[in-house]
Amino acid sequence: MSRTGTAGKFGNTELPQEQKDALQKAIRFEWITLAFLTVSTALVFLVLGNSQAMKAAWIEDLLSFLPPIAFLLAARLIRRPPTEKHPYGYHRSVGIAHLVAAVALVAMGSFLIVDSGAGLLSAEHPTIGGIELFGHTIWLGWLMVAAMLLTAGPPVYLGRVKIKLAEKLHDKVLYADADMNKADWMTAGAAAVGVLGIGVGLWWADYAAALLISVSILRDGVKNLRGAVGALIDTRAHTVDDSAPDPLNRRIDVYLKGLPWVSQAASRIRDEGHVFHIESFVVPAGGAVPSLETLEDARKACAGLDWKVQDLVIIPVAKLPKEFLPGLRSPGAEY
Amino acid sequence: MAVLFAVVLLAGGLGGCGISMPGDPDGTLERVSGGTLRVGVTDNGKWASIGDGQEPRGIEPGLVRSFASSISATPEWAAGSEQELTKALKEGDLDLVIGGFAADTPWATHAGTTRPYTESKDAYGKTVKHVFLVPLGENGFLLALDRFLLEQDVQA
Repeated sequence: MSRTGTAGKFGNTELPQEQKDALQKAIRFEWITLAFLTVSTALVFLVLGNSQAMKAAWIEDLLSFLPPIAFLLAARLIRRPPTEKHPYGYHRSVGIAHLVAAVALVAMGSFLIVDSGAGLLSAEHPTIGGIELFGHTIWLGWLMVAAMLLTAGPPVYLGRVKIKLAEKLHDKVLYADADMNKADWMTAGAAAVGVLGIGVGLWWADYAAALLISVSILRDGVKNLRGAVGALIDTRAHTVDDSAPDPLNRRIDVYLKGLPWVSQAASRIRDEGHVFHIESFVVPAGGAVPSLETLEDARKACAGLDWKVQDLVIIPVAKLPKEFLPGLRSPGAEY
Repeated sequence: MAVLFAVVLLAGGLGGCGISMPGDPDGTLERVSGGTLRVGVTDNGKWASIGDGQEPRGIEPGLVRSFASSISATPEWAAGSEQELTKALKEGDLDLVIGGFAADTPWATHAGTTRPYTESKDAYGKTVKHVFLVPLGENGFLLALDRFLLEQDVQA
């Protein structure tokens, strides 16, 4: 297989045009995200001062680098076709990247909660003085508020674009990244309110804003950690936002049961990151063993249901194995 | 977006109402203006020197006198070690501490620092940026002092 031939692929899975386009666009938007973050972290760093809320917002900006980097690395790795050493391909690299990003969020969120809480308890008043700008000495707090307002808007746009791409690509890292970007304006707003609070003499407003931001970082972290661990431990496949079991499970079972030679069918599906690995157990009608062509046709038809279905095996059995299909109700009454 | 809008409104509203930004949680600037400015001085060569029965002399006491007169305040001097003075500053018994402090002073956890108003070379040839120490979080007072200091042209 040539190097160029792997561009529109996830391992062995040839992507449909829609997903190929979405992948290219997602890669482009993650690079744009990284470029924006570079500018915004530098800008915020310049006006950081002694504000705890600004510090929290800045650390959140720094952490925002992780999901795009994780996505871009994973997007590179999963193109590789499966090898003898890695017969399932490299799809799990998405999960590993997701886990690393989630752990970083949890760690930094927890640290910031402790740090901001300690500041609040010690009642250490944040000190922000003047800065000389174009020959005038102005309050540094105004620059902080300006930096927050400037950096609040773009992530919301980036998040909105990326969340649609994540749905198309069934990419949970991209989804988590987009979800965080979409909520980024709240962080900026909280930090700005905290700084303005210092401005009117309410020293605790800064710590309150910092705590709010820290909690939002921790919440993102826990949400992502749950998703990442869930994927790595082979939770049954869910939709990209983890809100419901993926409808493909039902569609495959319904399709297989609809075949004239099948009396019962049930599948278990695990989400490898983008694509699904599926084992479908079928009980042939009348106990007759289906021909190899029949089985192959059914497999191809299932793979045709969705681009995510490629690695699918059909296992003819005398009886649906309950030990492999937990939650199976009385045979034949699954749906 | 609603929060951003609120921020803009809040900022505009505060400006419009004439509330001075930034303010002091403990009202230092308001108290010292037209009143007494309590200044801690630690003896440190040309920056500040304390003689018996005399007012402190040197670069920084001179600056403090000009600043005090700019806000119609009368300086009240207290001599002591850095340890004693920063403690008093933290406890709210002083408004300002001087004596050749550097911008990277280790006392920065107990006190706020002004913008550096001048630079000098230390005995090791390293540049030292000189600052005053102010109470933590008294940002209105700090900004007034910063404005004053940055207008001065101090040659060390």
